[in-house]
Amino acid sequence: MSWFSRSRRESAPAVAQADPPEVYKSLGLSALLESMRRKGQGLRILDLGSAVGSNVEFLSELGCKLHIGDLYASRSTAVEGEELGQEFFEQLFPADAKLDVVLAWDLFNYLQRKEMARLGVLLRRHCRPGALIFALMWSQKQIPAQPIRFRIQEKGHLVYERRTELERPGPRYVPAEISGLLKGFRVDRSFLLRHGIQEYLFIRDDEEDETRAI
Amino acid sequence: MAWNKRDDQPNAPEPAPTAPRPMSSAPSAPVTSSPNPSPEPRRSGDRATIGASIIIKGDLSGGEDLVIEGRVEGKVDLKQHNVTVGRNGRVKADVFGKVITIEGEVDGNVFAQEQAILRQAGAIRGNITAPRVILEDGSRFKGSIDMEVKDSGSRHGSDRPQSPQAVETKQQAGEPAGASRAAQAG
Repeated sequence: MSWFSRSRRESAPAVAQADPPEVYKSLGLSALLESMRRKGQGLRILDLGSAVGSNVEFLSELGCKLHIGDLYASRSTAVEGEELGQEFFEQLFPADAKLDVVLAWDLFNYLQRKEMARLGVLLRRHCRPGALIFALMWSQKQIPAQPIRFRIQEKGHLVYERRTELERPGPRYVPAEISGLLKGFRVDRSFLLRHGIQEYLFIRDDEEDETRAI
Repeated sequence: MAWNKRDDQPNAPEPAPTAPRPMSSAPSAPVTSSPNPSPEPRRSGDRATIGASIIIKGDLSGGEDLVIEGRVEGKVDLKQHNVTVGRNGRVKADVFGKVITIEGEVDGNVFAQEQAILRQAGAIRGNITAPRVILEDGSRFKGSIDMEVKDSGSRHGSDRPQSPQAVETKQQAGEPAGASRAAQAG
């Protein structure tokens, strides 16, 4: 199945959105945006989620260059049940640039541990020292069966748009385990939110730090 | 359970079947059509239309607006005119135009002089270069977005620059009421 044929299916109306919308204050996003503003314009961002117009607008107005990886749709084109290899993850990255920010949203929850490790290797390769990864990890036993679509709101809020009402068991990664899978990164900040999400900001170590660690 | 299993989407209806597209067996032919061969695109006012049964392999250029409902492989070069890839359009090419509107599928890069619009049913796998980009919710995009105006030099210093560079979003009915205000933050 091609990426395009998947895209047709995805355009079908999904779960009815909550009214009022599910909006949460995101401390991790606020910290990320603050850091991005400090770094200035021209940042290279990889959004591993799907393209959300308002997010693109928000980030472009911060003077960022954006690459959309769309891991969710790409995964849907892979052979069902098959473990995702290095090649799959490679095609999520822009070929010609080092990244400053990666928006992973809740996608890590939907990768097997081996897949996370593979992605981690590529993240280290494609990110500059000091680059930040924004990830949301579920701490609950049951999580949405499909990744949520997150829409950046003003003042560091996120709208959660669920694609399905179904649930599946969550991986329940502990911080040490995630750090182990994302070698070359360490937890810069983390925030446990009341609705069961733990937000992480991972930061890419300097090359010197890595050498020392080895 | 894999996250992309079909039973994860009980409410998602199957996509409507699309009309079978003709395939060309003559790769060297610049234009292949069936069942009614027509060497000239249909014209409507100052706008030409490549019909759903037309397959074009090669470069395409001209002096009027163009609507593509068929299949194009090669390059679409209409820098001074508007290009629309209609719902049935399948383009495997770089597309150059003034205002480029995508309702079908484009596998290639999009270079718009003024504006690129990806409609809800549209999909682009490639990069978009345009001073203004509109991504409608429900559309699919994979690639990079470059909204820099190469010769303008600098951006304004505020969080919300007053430059012509902008992305607009259009929401589907029933979407969260406050969502579009995300764009107002910064």
